[in-house]
Amino acid sequence: MSDFFLIDSVKDIIVKYDELFADLSNIKNYNKYCKSDSYYTIFKHILISIIIGEEIVLLDHDFSTNEIDKLLGKNASLSEEKLIKNFDVINFKNIQEKIKVNNKSWKITLFTSGTTGLPKKISHTFDSLTRFIKIDETRKGNVWGFAYNPSHMAGLQVFFQAFLNQNTIVRLFGVERIALLNLINDYSVTNISSTPTFYRMLLPSDHICNKVMSLTSGGEKFDSKTLGNLKEMFPNSKIRNVYASTEAGALFSSKGDIFTIKSELSHSIKFIKNELYIHHTLLGASDGLTLLDGWYKTGDIVEVINNIPLKFKFLSRKNEMINTGGYKVNPSEVEEVIRELKGVTDAFVFGKKNSLLGSLVLCEVTVSDKSLNEKQIRTFLKDRLQEFKVPRIIKFVESISTTRTGKILRKK
Amino acid sequence: MENILKIINTVLNNRDKLRISEISKSSHLRNDCGLDSLDLAELTVRIESEYDVDIFENGIVETVGDIMNKINE
Repeated sequence: MSDFFLIDSVKDIIVKYDELFADLSNIKNYNKYCKSDSYYTIFKHILISIIIGEEIVLLDHDFSTNEIDKLLGKNASLSEEKLIKNFDVINFKNIQEKIKVNNKSWKITLFTSGTTGLPKKISHTFDSLTRFIKIDETRKGNVWGFAYNPSHMAGLQVFFQAFLNQNTIVRLFGVERIALLNLINDYSVTNISSTPTFYRMLLPSDHICNKVMSLTSGGEKFDSKTLGNLKEMFPNSKIRNVYASTEAGALFSSKGDIFTIKSELSHSIKFIKNELYIHHTLLGASDGLTLLDGWYKTGDIVEVINNIPLKFKFLSRKNEMINTGGYKVNPSEVEEVIRELKGVTDAFVFGKKNSLLGSLVLCEVTVSDKSLNEKQIRTFLKDRLQEFKVPRIIKFVESISTTRTGKILRKK
Repeated sequence: MENILKIINTVLNNRDKLRISEISKSSHLRNDCGLDSLDLAELTVRIESEYDVDIFENGIVETVGDIMNKINE
């Protein structure tokens, strides 16, 4: 195990495990709503909720009052606290015991970052949240680069993976590129889990991070150019993809872009017209999910490669397709091609409502080569894509718009 | 007018079509300027980003004069 629990350079906080346990032991009041921009506050709040076996509701720190009223109803009292009964001085061992005792009564509620409408409310038990978390001796020395919003599903999974193995967590979310790469090397980060967008922002591969052993990517699809650059940058690291959603937690992981489904899960997923359906027994509890005979329609379009064992790869999110004059454009496909152009660091393709065509395909790019112009990109794309897929307007931006989770924001 | 000519030429240039040197209010966007539906869709977005007006929002726009009327409404 490590002495250090959390390194947060954004808040200038370094906390050792014994300091964490001492702070937890001193907490006297409990509020089930957690809304904070401090990682440390959020992590402590989660741990206290487990220790006392009470529900915790995680709210993004930047939710507006208006959003909270819509999510929780106007009568929700965010400031209501209750006194906690006395408990023993906390250490790691008795947190483990509390987890065993309280894992049925404890639940954590969070909100998905849906790109349309209001976020959906999802509740998880300890078991559904930590289904894929591995605890063993070989992981005791891991140092986690924390590159997610801690009040979202993926961030929670990294938190539990790190905490249950008593690893150090180094905050990488919200840190500027060079400082971030220095943090990875200075603190010998061994594991990072994040979105492809986050990894692309680490490029170009002018820094080598030798200590990193495992990179996990979730969210939108990883392209081969980024993958190649990451291998240069993290020469000792395994790179894998995880399919996870707030509804289901982490479900499958892949080597390259091919996902292999373990036989015990294979009866809980199915495909209809190449769309992935997940059986409700794999999901967290939510009133906001629409189920068809017990199956949840994910909106993810896959290509099945093999039936036994089941192997598939993701093609796109169904609702991400841009309909332009009757043609369907897959933004991920276009983005991938744009990123192949030398001098382009990232691309974001989206549909803009248009009274003539339904939607028009537009694009934002970030470049390392400032001399690139719209015409050059268009010429490059014309040879590689059908014309209707080529973005009609290419805008050069300093950074790509992302959602609260760091995924590329699809609707505009 | 000059600015509209510039925007039309940006659209034409993007599709490797011949630029035009002048326009008048009566210039027909399809017949005289050589813009097709995709070009017109792009034109609306470019004009919208500069003038904050969706020129095709209510009905058909056929000439440069129609665009100017929409912008000046």
